[in-house]
Amino acid sequence: MKQKSHHLFSNLSRRQMLKMTAGSVGALAASSMLPGMAHAAGGDISFWGSGTLDIGDKWQRAADDASLTISFTDNGNDPGPVVARLVAGNANAVYDVSGLQGGAEKELAAQGAIAPWDTSKIANWDKVWQWAKDIPFLYHEGKQYGLPGVVNADSIIYRKDKLGVVDSYGVIFDPKLKGRVAMEDAWINSAIFAAMYLKESENAPINEPGNLTEDELGLVMEFLIKHKRDGQFRTFWSGWEQGVQLVANEEVDAMTGWEPIVYEGRKRGLDVEYAAPVEGYEGWGNNLLLHRGAVERGLGDAAHEFANWIYDGYYGAHLTQMRGYVVPSDNNIPYAAANPDDIDPAAVENTVNHVRNKFNGKIYWQNTRPDNFQLYEEWWQKLRNS
Amino acid sequence: MFHIRRGLALASPGFLSILVLGFIPLSVIVVWSFWTWDPSSYWIKPDLSLDAYAAIGDAGRWKVLVWSFGKALLASFICLLFAYPAALAIHFVAGPKWAFVLMAAFTVPFFTSYLIRAFSWRLVLGRTGLINTWLINLGIVDEPLDWLLFSDFAVILGLVASYLPFAMFPLLLVLRRVEPSFLAASQDLGAGFMRTLFSVILPLTKPGIFAGFLFVFVSAVGSSTEVQMLGGAGASMISIMINDVMRVVNFPLAFAISSVVLVALFSLVIVGNAVFGLTKLFEDFK
Repeated sequence: MKQKSHHLFSNLSRRQMLKMTAGSVGALAASSMLPGMAHAAGGDISFWGSGTLDIGDKWQRAADDASLTISFTDNGNDPGPVVARLVAGNANAVYDVSGLQGGAEKELAAQGAIAPWDTSKIANWDKVWQWAKDIPFLYHEGKQYGLPGVVNADSIIYRKDKLGVVDSYGVIFDPKLKGRVAMEDAWINSAIFAAMYLKESENAPINEPGNLTEDELGLVMEFLIKHKRDGQFRTFWSGWEQGVQLVANEEVDAMTGWEPIVYEGRKRGLDVEYAAPVEGYEGWGNNLLLHRGAVERGLGDAAHEFANWIYDGYYGAHLTQMRGYVVPSDNNIPYAAANPDDIDPAAVENTVNHVRNKFNGKIYWQNTRPDNFQLYEEWWQKLRNS
Repeated sequence: MFHIRRGLALASPGFLSILVLGFIPLSVIVVWSFWTWDPSSYWIKPDLSLDAYAAIGDAGRWKVLVWSFGKALLASFICLLFAYPAALAIHFVAGPKWAFVLMAAFTVPFFTSYLIRAFSWRLVLGRTGLINTWLINLGIVDEPLDWLLFSDFAVILGLVASYLPFAMFPLLLVLRRVEPSFLAASQDLGAGFMRTLFSVILPLTKPGIFAGFLFVFVSAVGSSTEVQMLGGAGASMISIMINDVMRVVNFPLAFAISSVVLVALFSLVIVGNAVFGLTKLFEDFK
């Protein structure tokens, strides 16, 4: 108990000091000035991740398991501002580890904002699923800059009672469903879905849907622009509530999106299914990134301990139960089975196996930072204004 | 002299906060809009360039600027059309008790967030929403009207619903300038209600009309929630466009778009003040 209090006190003091200092000298200058000023107690990890990675008061368990005091801060999940703040802002001075949608690792590593992981220091690394270790964005110049924190694969939510069984993204572009379909209001998702459909079902000359060349991107975006002009899309949606509302209020019969929306639609009594498209799923990984600042503050080993704890079963099982997300580790199901008072073993096992099975088929990985990302934005504006 | 000193002392915190919180950041944005992106520092450097302004002409971004101003203009006029008669009713017709009730009715929507307000319109305007359900039940239409939601109509409705009170309160303020004796004199001279309205009340309330217009217009130009929640596929607004640009860390372009908006809004205030005498709104307080 004493130890916990000490951790909490030291963590808050450090946080307050850093925030006050960072605020006073300005965000831009802070990244170069603050690392040397911040002296954290060992075992304090400030985790800056997507809000969906937060497990609330259950972070306290890391203190018992690994003598780690974790403070979680939502990073907003928008890769652009996160990357900018890590490279040119104060994020490296304030936070130790990021949880960010995959794709930005190469850019962050090239800028020196993140440090490579040493998986030999992560005891549970051999429990991590092999295909998750093989996610291409995790590596840069032969070093491992990302660890697969959470994985899932997205496709199409659809009304089975109206459309029968859907097994292709072609449904999104079917003229018979004009005005009855939707896609996400983000090129990160919608461009890759369209590219996967064009590559797999229309034999379009596309090599990697998650990292389109200039010509490939033009082809994909012209295709989307044509369908938008034809009135194919009811809307482009963003955010959980909007996604649920589109399905639950029967605004659309099919849309690309997240599987939990299916469960919400079923709760409202709708015959909603999640497609297993022949073109494959859009796989995504929310990856753990080790901040350069954490290493400079002497927190490298603590950060590896933190990553090890993430794979240890407790975090994965609880995240699965809380949000339906899956940490790609073999430890989640055994933890749930051994702790039925703490967690529902059957629910965890079903969800983990369901997600793992998706990856048995074809997968194209979501890439938040393709090589031509500036051009993606340019085309997305053209799509908006078409 | 003592009064001047005391006035300056009282006003200085306000002036200082405007300078520090408003003028300096906005000036920095304008200056930075002429700088150039530096990949090595991941920030901008002072290599002066007009490239960011040229990029506003690309990818149809200029259309977003024009459409945003157009939508804000339309929403502002509609707000004034609703707010002006309501303000007249509150000022001239309603007693103190009813005036309070009516003003509260206009204020109640502000008790919820923009997000909730915009979202609630989805439940009203959607395919299975209140309006479509009524229309179908009454036999007026066979199929739900799709254009009610995810359309420009829905966006304008959302903007008007969100910003109507902004038009109302300056009008109530300026109506204090209309002395009852003016109206009595107008009636004594044989003018009917419409003649009195157009010859006496409207000219005297011009500053408040413009202030109400300005409050709604500025708020609507900067809005994004209503457009994202109620607009059609890919519907955009200036703030959404800036967010898109910031997502790919194109800071100079984001600053250039912001600067264009700033210049346009400041120009509007200056021209509007010259035409409508905005400062007269505060003469009663001298």
